[in-house]
Amino acid sequence: MIVASEHLSKWYGQVSGLNDVTIQVPPGITGLLGPNGAGKSTFMKLITGQLRPSKGQVRVLGEPIWGNPALFQRIGFCPEQDSFYDRMTGREWVTALTGLHGFDEKAAGEAAAKAIAAVELTEAADRKIGSYSKGMRQRIKLAQAIAHEPELLILDEPLSGMDPLMRRRTVKQIKEWARAGTSVLVSSHILHEIEAMTSNIVLINNGRIVAEGDVHHIRDLIDEHPHTVSIRAQQTHAVARELLADEGVVSVRFEPGGLVVETARPDAFYARVTDLAASGRLGPITEITSPDDNLQAVFRYLVKQ
Amino acid sequence: MSARPNLPAPPTFWNGAVRVFSLSLGEMLWSRRTVFLMLVTGMPVFVALVLRLVQSSGITPVRVNSTPVDGASIFGGMIWIFFLRFIVPVLGVFYGTSLMADEVEDRTITYLFTRPIRRGAVLVGKYLAFLVCTTLVVLPSVVLVYFLLVPLSQVARTFVAFAADLGLLALGLAAYGGLFAFVGAALKRPLVSGLVFVFGWEQVALLVPGYLKRFTVAHYVQGLVPHAMPSDGVAAVLQAVLRNNPPAWLCIAALAGIVAVSLWLGVKAVESREYVLDQ
Repeated sequence: MIVASEHLSKWYGQVSGLNDVTIQVPPGITGLLGPNGAGKSTFMKLITGQLRPSKGQVRVLGEPIWGNPALFQRIGFCPEQDSFYDRMTGREWVTALTGLHGFDEKAAGEAAAKAIAAVELTEAADRKIGSYSKGMRQRIKLAQAIAHEPELLILDEPLSGMDPLMRRRTVKQIKEWARAGTSVLVSSHILHEIEAMTSNIVLINNGRIVAEGDVHHIRDLIDEHPHTVSIRAQQTHAVARELLADEGVVSVRFEPGGLVVETARPDAFYARVTDLAASGRLGPITEITSPDDNLQAVFRYLVKQ
Repeated sequence: MSARPNLPAPPTFWNGAVRVFSLSLGEMLWSRRTVFLMLVTGMPVFVALVLRLVQSSGITPVRVNSTPVDGASIFGGMIWIFFLRFIVPVLGVFYGTSLMADEVEDRTITYLFTRPIRRGAVLVGKYLAFLVCTTLVVLPSVVLVYFLLVPLSQVARTFVAFAADLGLLALGLAAYGGLFAFVGAALKRPLVSGLVFVFGWEQVALLVPGYLKRFTVAHYVQGLVPHAMPSDGVAAVLQAVLRNNPPAWLCIAALAGIVAVSLWLGVKAVESREYVLDQ
């Protein structure tokens, strides 16, 4: 098991962040899915040794993680927060962080260059991170997580802020890493992101594991609930016209700089938008986000079960 | 990507600290805080420049009991008043308390704490960066003040004292920086606590007769001042004030002890605290 917890709980004073979680995460790709505030971040921080369990225990790659920094030689972590040393270039930053794994300067530089190439940022590697777009910052965060070639990759909302094409490439890349033998634990509040990577998911809500296992029966539930997708594009009206022709689309609403679409067939819809972005026919589509309302509906259903 | 078969061994504590030092020094040197504190350390340079200009016009700028005070003595006074009693503690408070706090506030601490190095090595590495950074901030200012105030003819005679002053400044920076690195690692509002210590507790404790002054850093820093200052003019007056100082060896041992104990406590605090809760 790559991660194993027993009766794991974390309290922030009187507030419970995670409640009596017992789980075993197998090798391969596992998706941790839950709405914002569900306890995903707390779980991620516990399994990366940033928080100490209030109760219970957690083991990563067979060892306790709190106070065990040597274990990070085998783990790569891509955090959710959008924070950097902005004055450094992408290459300097990844090289410096890789150096903290014990690589000499030359080896760290080579490992960093390889990781930066893997996330397709070589051309921008010598620019200051402060000048990067949100999607580029996400990718450079991925690069620092993979540069030392860890056995286990822990990715917290890794696709957030990426454009549709880069999402597709990143999902493909994550699957390739997994095929090459790296285990991946990836969190998201968007089922379709997770589903594109793996069928093995863990559903978390209100600090508890609600369900775990194969994604397909969860998927059926999702399809019963209209799915809301927010799109940022230049030609919003043209994009809306195009999408309304899709029979799954239930409604379209405009907002500054973009549109919000409700669809009953999210799978087909995401594929359609990605193709549209790739063709560039209706101008750039810069961002697709999905609020967690979709998941909330499913969780409400699951909790009632 | 496959698991690397020949991963290097994780860095040792000191190796990790040196790597964090390399990562942090550039960030620290080019921070807004450093620019601001360079302006603060420019104050004595400005004062020295004014004194030099006054002196050039034929007027004696400083007199004590109608006796003219020479440049070397004025320099000794400025080292004590501006640098040791103000700039060094201020640099210690502002940099020392921010060593961990900046990383927490900027939410970059995660990148350091998810590496195969001990958290204590992060604190020590950042402390070393603080020492180099603050020395680079203070040194040019002290050198400029020295050469503005001390006539070239007196440089040879006063150079040993000048070198001792530089050593004293470095010792002061190390002691205050170490203490406030611990405060920053252990407390949630370290800056306020640091300012209260320097501008409240130390000022009061130094004035109160008895043993309270032993619980200040300034007591041991001041204890070294007469040894580093010229012994004529104003210096003699200052020495009279500081007559009850502990011997130099005790001051040096106490300051070294403050650095060692503070860093040890700081390392312990960093390794047990959950910093992400503060983000």
